Amino acid sequence: MSVQGLSKSFGTLRAVDNVSFAVHAGELYGLLGPNGAGKTTTLSIIAGLLRPDAGEVIMDGVRLKDDPPRARRYLGVVPQELAIYEELSARENLEFWGRLAGLSAREARIRAAELLEALALADRAREPVKTFSGGMKRRVNLGCALLHRPRLLLLDEPTVGIDPQARASLLGFVRGLQRDGTAILYTTHYLEEAETLCQRIGILDHGRLLAEGTLEQLQQRLGGDRLFVLEGDLGDAAPDTWPGFAARFRVIQRTARQLVVAARDTRDPAEYLRDLLALPVRVENVTLKRPNLNDVFLQLTGRDLRE
Amino acid sequence: MNLLGILLVKDLRRVARNPWPWLIHLALPLAITALVGLAFGRGGAPGTELGRIRFALVDEDDSALSRLLRGGLGQGEGGKYLEPVVLDRATALARLQANELVAVLVLPPHFTRDYLTGRGPVTLELIKNPAQSIHPAVLEELLGALVTGLNALARNLGSEFPAWRAALEEGADYRRVADLIVRTGEKLDTLRRYLDPPLIGYSREVRPGEAKSRPGLNLFGYLLVGLATMFLLFQANMVMSDLYREAAGRTFARYHTLHARLTPFLAAKGVFVAVMVLLGAAILLGGGGWLFGIRWQHPGVLALLALGYAVFAAGYTAVFAALVTEARAADALSNLVAMVLGLAGGCAFPPQALPAFLREQVTPLLPTAWLAQGIRELEFGSAAVDWPWILLRLTALGVGLLGLAAWLFRRQFARGQRI
Repeated sequence: MSVQGLSKSFGTLRAVDNVSFAVHAGELYGLLGPNGAGKTTTLSIIAGLLRPDAGEVIMDGVRLKDDPPRARRYLGVVPQELAIYEELSARENLEFWGRLAGLSAREARIRAAELLEALALADRAREPVKTFSGGMKRRVNLGCALLHRPRLLLLDEPTVGIDPQARASLLGFVRGLQRDGTAILYTTHYLEEAETLCQRIGILDHGRLLAEGTLEQLQQRLGGDRLFVLEGDLGDAAPDTWPGFAARFRVIQRTARQLVVAARDTRDPAEYLRDLLALPVRVENVTLKRPNLNDVFLQLTGRDLRE
Repeated sequence: MNLLGILLVKDLRRVARNPWPWLIHLALPLAITALVGLAFGRGGAPGTELGRIRFALVDEDDSALSRLLRGGLGQGEGGKYLEPVVLDRATALARLQANELVAVLVLPPHFTRDYLTGRGPVTLELIKNPAQSIHPAVLEELLGALVTGLNALARNLGSEFPAWRAALEEGADYRRVADLIVRTGEKLDTLRRYLDPPLIGYSREVRPGEAKSRPGLNLFGYLLVGLATMFLLFQANMVMSDLYREAAGRTFARYHTLHARLTPFLAAKGVFVAVMVLLGAAILLGGGGWLFGIRWQHPGVLALLALGYAVFAAGYTAVFAALVTEARAADALSNLVAMVLGLAGGCAFPPQALPAFLREQVTPLLPTAWLAQGIRELEFGSAAVDWPWILLRLTALGVGLLGLAAWLFRRQFARGQRI
């Protein structure tokens, strides 16, 4: 599935701004961004719920707007909300969505039983969903999108509001789908999920795709795998005026108490530390760490992803 | 099973899992009917309609005329409606206190003497049971008519009264009484031209197909038909509010990720409304009929009219849902509109009690009035009811509204709204 030059505005708000990316079979692609970045709008356009102002979505060579029913057959959508019927049982929910996806009653029954087993819900399949825990409901929500074996699965923040154990179980299931060859577009604002789950990650903010690539590729944007965090009374310090500093380091973030810098070359870390401790400011602590996606986001937007 | 069927079965299953909101909606009109029916009299045993008015007659005059009145009140046509029990004042008041009687009618001492000597207008004493409302009021009206009649008689035949008084008090031979009767009869004959033909006439025509006797007005039935008409609209609103829940819960959007066309989803909701209204009508009219002893004379026609009304309710709620996009606004407004349609349609009160403008200009245009008045007239009235025309109007209006709703929804979806 590829998205090319996708744009969507709501009044004066540009929710999605010329976004392009592709998801391949068997790939788990993460769209990472804070709330309001445009992740759900992008997903809604791909799912056919919203019409883009510009750009197009192509699935298996078919343009969504040219043949919506055919494009929809490739798709399984797991909305962020629990789009299931709480009065019905897990089995009834799965069978219902299976029937809507075009399965016969028998096919839906067999496939629902398979999924209930795979999602570890078989023993409570006949109970109303309203009696389930949050994690179990999330699993039903996921299962409802899988009845027709979609080739592309859109997962919109599927782990919001569930406990770590339930999250781990759900993510394990998602990894299994990816291993079986399903292309997965996964939106999240959890850094750890994107880092550990996704093969490629697109960073979205204010509707724009700021960067994309593997975790390593994104880390490289910061100049390698080393970041130095200096803590101390930085006051009105102006790093640009420090002799030789700009040639060796790039400032990622600066506050009155903290300075985050990336090394521009690949010398021994001890040499960097010596340089940093020799700076004309009073440094209380220096930490060396591997850059994560938050640092990438910080570098791209000047803001912390968690803000 | 087609898409519509799959969606409908899903909705019906959901109702079956949580039927309480629906049952409460159905129980309300039955409870109101029972309360109002019981408050306004004994109500509804089949054939008794309002029931006979049981009252005490205390004859403190004990004269020939008072005995004549005593005997006349419970006989003939009066006997169908009146059930006088002759008692002394103390016993009568005690039984009134015990709520065994509707009222106590006292013929005061010297009633006959005062009447025949023309000492003043006729005076009767009526003590009404404060715990009852309809029957004492009816009795008061009847006695008012009796007193007016006696006064009119006194004005026109006053010259004969001394002779009558003498005959009653002193006794008279047959010849004297016969003379009195003849004279009085001649005087009444002179009045006949003022009375006959009467200024207002009433005649009842029995058509060959209507030879069967119809039941009279059943208070429970009358109330139930109106309340059912109004509450079925509330029920329809509740069913259609599910569309807002599906939109908020994203199940509607999820459906749209599988199907580009939204019409089947909306059509299924319309059918869902119609099915639930029909089911509600069956429970209310069928169950209510059994509960209150109402024998419906035309169950088949009632079922057809309910079907027409279900189509109208589906159309009305669909247009409402298309026009009011916010769930909270819809919650507040939908039942208000249904109540206005019900009240203005004469569902809660007899239409005759409505203000003239409403009754003459608005009520005839309301589908609630078509159904409620149609069924009332059909079941309890005497005039022929053109029920196929009512059915046609309800169905045509419903189909028209469904078409309008579909157009409104399509326009909204084209603009990317409501998904």
